[in-house]
Amino acid sequence: MNRRTFLKVMGSAITGAAAGSLIRPGVSGAQGVFDDKEFFGILIDTTRCIGCRRCEKGCAEVNYLPIPDISEKANQDIFTKKRKTSVTEYTVTNLYETEKGKVYVPWRCMHCNQPACHSACIVYALEKRETGHVTWDKRCIGCRLCMMSCPYNIPQHVFDEPSATIQKCNLCYGRFLQGIVPGCVESCPTEALMFGTRRKLLEEGKRRIAQNPGKYVNHIYGELEVGGTSTMYLSAVPFEQIGLRTDLGLKHYPEYSQVYLSAIPFIAGITPIAMLGIAHVIRMAKKDAKKEEHHEEEHHEDKIGH
Amino acid sequence: MEKTEKREIRTIGEFWEFFKSELKPKGNPWTPFNLISGTVMVLGFIFIIYRFLTGLSPTTNLSQMYPWGIWKGAVVNSGVAFAGGGYTLAFIVYILGLERYRPMLRETVLFAFLAYVFYAGALTVELGRWHVFYNPFIGNKYGVSSVLFIVAWHFMLYIVTLALEFSPAAAEWVGMKRARKILGAAALGAVVFGVMLSIHHQAGLGAMFTMAKGKLHPLWYSEFMPILYFISSIYAGPSVMIVVSSITQRLYAHRVDEEYRKAHPQIVLGLGRMCIGVIFAYLFLQLILVHHEHDLQYINTAMGLWWLVEVGALGLIPMFLFIHGVQHKNLSTINMAAVLALIGVLLNRLNNVFIAYNWYLPLSLKYRPTWMEVIILFTIIFIDVWVFRWIINRMHVLSKPPEWARAMEKH
Amino acid sequence: MNRKLLYFAVGVCYLILIIYGLYAVYTVEATLRAKEVPAIKPENKIAIAHTEIFGKLERPQVIFDHKKHTEAFVKEGKKEWDTCDTCHTVEQDSLIFDFPKKVVKKDKTSVMNAYHDECIECHKKRSSENKKSGPVVCADCHKEKEKSIEVKYPVFEFDFYVHDKHVKKLKEKLGKDDCSLCHHTYDIHEEDEELALVYEKGTEESCYYCHELDRKRGPELAAIARVAAKKGLSLKTASHLQCLNCHLEYQKEAGKAGRLKEDEKEAGPTECVKCHTGKYRTVAELEKIPRPDRDQPERPYINIKDAKLKGVTFDHDYHQKTHKNCRVCHHETLKACKDCHSLVGKPEGNGVNVARAYHDVFSEHSCEGCHNKKKSEKGCFGCHYNIAPMDVETMGPKKESCKICHSGEIKGPLSRPPLSVAQLDPEKVKKEIKIKVLERQYEPAEFPHLNIIKKLVDISNKNKLANYFHKDIQTICEGCHHQSPAEAEVQKDSPPYCRNCHAVAPDLQNLQKIRLLTAYHNQCMGCHDAMQLEKGSKLRSKEGNRCADCHKVKEKGPESITSVKNFPKDPWKYPWYGGMER
Repeated sequence: MNRRTFLKVMGSAITGAAAGSLIRPGVSGAQGVFDDKEFFGILIDTTRCIGCRRCEKGCAEVNYLPIPDISEKANQDIFTKKRKTSVTEYTVTNLYETEKGKVYVPWRCMHCNQPACHSACIVYALEKRETGHVTWDKRCIGCRLCMMSCPYNIPQHVFDEPSATIQKCNLCYGRFLQGIVPGCVESCPTEALMFGTRRKLLEEGKRRIAQNPGKYVNHIYGELEVGGTSTMYLSAVPFEQIGLRTDLGLKHYPEYSQVYLSAIPFIAGITPIAMLGIAHVIRMAKKDAKKEEHHEEEHHEDKIGH
Repeated sequence: MEKTEKREIRTIGEFWEFFKSELKPKGNPWTPFNLISGTVMVLGFIFIIYRFLTGLSPTTNLSQMYPWGIWKGAVVNSGVAFAGGGYTLAFIVYILGLERYRPMLRETVLFAFLAYVFYAGALTVELGRWHVFYNPFIGNKYGVSSVLFIVAWHFMLYIVTLALEFSPAAAEWVGMKRARKILGAAALGAVVFGVMLSIHHQAGLGAMFTMAKGKLHPLWYSEFMPILYFISSIYAGPSVMIVVSSITQRLYAHRVDEEYRKAHPQIVLGLGRMCIGVIFAYLFLQLILVHHEHDLQYINTAMGLWWLVEVGALGLIPMFLFIHGVQHKNLSTINMAAVLALIGVLLNRLNNVFIAYNWYLPLSLKYRPTWMEVIILFTIIFIDVWVFRWIINRMHVLSKPPEWARAMEKH
Repeated sequence: MNRKLLYFAVGVCYLILIIYGLYAVYTVEATLRAKEVPAIKPENKIAIAHTEIFGKLERPQVIFDHKKHTEAFVKEGKKEWDTCDTCHTVEQDSLIFDFPKKVVKKDKTSVMNAYHDECIECHKKRSSENKKSGPVVCADCHKEKEKSIEVKYPVFEFDFYVHDKHVKKLKEKLGKDDCSLCHHTYDIHEEDEELALVYEKGTEESCYYCHELDRKRGPELAAIARVAAKKGLSLKTASHLQCLNCHLEYQKEAGKAGRLKEDEKEAGPTECVKCHTGKYRTVAELEKIPRPDRDQPERPYINIKDAKLKGVTFDHDYHQKTHKNCRVCHHETLKACKDCHSLVGKPEGNGVNVARAYHDVFSEHSCEGCHNKKKSEKGCFGCHYNIAPMDVETMGPKKESCKICHSGEIKGPLSRPPLSVAQLDPEKVKKEIKIKVLERQYEPAEFPHLNIIKKLVDISNKNKLANYFHKDIQTICEGCHHQSPAEAEVQKDSPPYCRNCHAVAPDLQNLQKIRLLTAYHNQCMGCHDAMQLEKGSKLRSKEGNRCADCHKVKEKGPESITSVKNFPKDPWKYPWYGGMER
């Protein structure tokens, strides 16, 4: 090809890429919205939890779920196996036998600062509210990518309804708007669950660690894990022993898909230009080849016809 | 066989009459294949209705730990890769200008188009809240940070693009000359757009797993999954087309024209040659990734050996078979290699979705598809095959476009 | 046809591979449980493995039955005390309990050959003499089933009882006290090694100070320990050398006089399990035993020149009686603390100054550290789990706690008079309190206030440490009434209610000030838990409702736990509600 064509193709390619980069599908909606508001969360002190399961009953009451049986007899059976959250249980308590004796650990949605479920949601049915609550809305189409993405396997899908829903703890967003603390926090007799702004909860957690030397592991689980969560844990034993994974890393999960998403505009800009450019070049080459053939034939004919 | 000038259809009434006449079966409708697939399809319809009435739980074995099952795995993840021939072959013909592959192009585009249409349909069966499936498209929140959002939109746009690419054949079928001219001119633009869309959503299928980091076995998970998915779709598509075209060459020999019949071996050879390079790139990338993330220590476990089966027996061996077939110009070897390669891609996708996903759970919690799920899966495949067959028997897919259409083509 | 067959065969192979692979992958178990290693009773056996020389063993370890060997010789007529030199070296009339005798280099081949030479040769010799002999084939000694057995001997505690026994017995035999029979020190400055081991009266100490090789020490003792290490004199080797030789001597004496059977105990044991019994005497059992006499003061007055506070009168005698050995406090040598720990810190004391030496809250050797640990015993922990360690306390306003110890030189008795509830005014300190401020689901809790005070006073009086530090009954009150000053507690008309500080509703601004429900539960249950009571604590009661331990469930009480007033009856109509649609 000639210089002019080359410059045309390169120029349009660069313009295309520049234009394409203005589209930014990779930015999660969770960033940049919370400037004036604070995240609220729950600090769970596993040394205070006595395994009474009143939090489960309180949660079921305020969310109109089936009320669990929390008598001592039922509890003795329940704690023999480890439970996960389910479509009718937004929070469960598990018993772990550790080097420091029995530890009861309440388990529920972590309400991550940058939730994988929200970032994965195709219609933002799972939203991260300005106040830190991660809630679900009925615009969900039931694709279940949130379940694949959540590192804690929290979103529970109702498989046996023709119109499914995703069930998980929403930190009692409704009650919060009315100025009441979440149902589980209200029910807890020993304030193993403490509700407050994330900032104050971290202060309180650190205060407890400092003023009780040797009692806690010197780390608040959820302060930095997966980019920070609103449900945080204090523990007397290493977190792996109470079922909290410490191998999830400090990177917030949406960042894993960021690489692909940020490549989208680039490809969108470059590829059409590149394809057209290549097609054009090859077509030109073919035309030139045909011209050469014709030329030779003519010459040849000339020679023969001489 | 080529007919002489068809009458042009101008009104809906005429089209309806024409369509009804075309619905009549050509040949004996009571073949064994028709009987078996028909039974399966009837059963499948019943199960689909049952699924819509009662939800996913009675019909499938999906659970909280395995939200995606064989539909997502075989249909969406793998089926889309198999339909990758649509963009690779279009790229070869339209962009690289290699005209000798053109006879296979229409068949490929048709296959891809039907694959996408029916797999999108299968997705609807699979969605938990299918009655609001239009939400991502109308803006009931555009989930712009979601990979699935990109994939869903690209699906929709790509179906339109493939329809546009195939529409000249449909125009010829009804004999609409002006439409044919316009649609034919749009071909290059559609192809370019389609390649771009394909790169996005083929890689997107892999990107959906990037956030499943702790749950996928390290040998399958890497942050470069989008690229691996894209590269594997480049060779999965042509592999499928090698197999499909070999089948159609024999089954529909009466629709295949002379030019295609003669060119077919060369096309297969060429595609085989291309697959060698692409499979090599794919395997090399796998090797680098596994080594870089220190995953070689897992090779000596059950999962590691399974990975070797997928990458070695169904990745490396097909490559060698391709090399052998291309060197000795042996079509049956290439066919076998293509079959093994596509099984390898299918296995890789299934692994990502439910075999190597949450692989540490005990057997009682693991996912096994119910027979109802399998029947619904085959129903969708059979509907696809029936429509594919119907179109091949009526439109100029395996043969050159009619004279008047060819005259319109600029090249 | 051939080709078709080939395709079919290949297809079947692949099918089998995939199906088997799927099966294997589906049944994979991710967790592997480590095999438990059985530990056997020692029974005078010795495990010969020498992993420090051989690394990972090619052949299984050898479990050597020592008693079998000595008994074999005794059966043939040798005397017990004469059997040792068959295998062990004799040097200058005392035995060195090493084996094999000749090991030139400490590398794999030499050690292996040394063992084989001695063991197998002896066995071969004996079987050639038609005596009962041991194995000569590899696998008969290196038994596969003994591969992962652990032979562990429990540590022998040379406690005060044993020491006293030795002192008395040896005085009986020799007519006078002779500590130099066992005690010696090593003069590091003596050039002639032969003369370096000396005895100096008044410097008798524990063997551990020099012979416990894997401990960090100060410079002086570290040099001595290095010498011990060079000579291979670990605590094990040194004590076996010292003890066994002496016991064998007396055994010989008793045996020669024909008194061995009667005097078996007199002579001292020579069998492994007779010393390493695994039974240990408690502090209570050792309390009446006289401690080794080294002219230690009964009640030294510890006064540091130029220190800020008054000196401390320290009841050394009492502390001696309440510990198993001296090393608990005298961790480096048997000198006084301030000999190494000066006001500003010396190298001998590892830079630890005298204040830290006595007050370090986490140390096992300091006064505070030990007292802190004692506070976490069952009887004390109920109040003390919530009270910060003394270090943190004295940073605050409660500096009068210092005066309890730093009281100057006291000539009289150090203990205080016991506390009594008779001092309390029954009008102000109620006998029983009904807690009904939060009454909803449960009946009011009936709190036996006076009984609890009585019980705590009782525990305090019985424990000398508690009795010393709890100078008056107000201290006991502060265990629960933790933030109100003592004067406020004695107001009749405004008792120190918990609700005075702890509000019913949660205070989101001061998360530290927990709400009233939590205050009651954490305070009460925390104490019950710390004192390991059966009722009302985290420990499960065998049957019945734990809550009922303190307050019964109301028969006609409200069903719900939470207060759902103001919460809409149809929440699903609201956009923020994501739960089940009804």
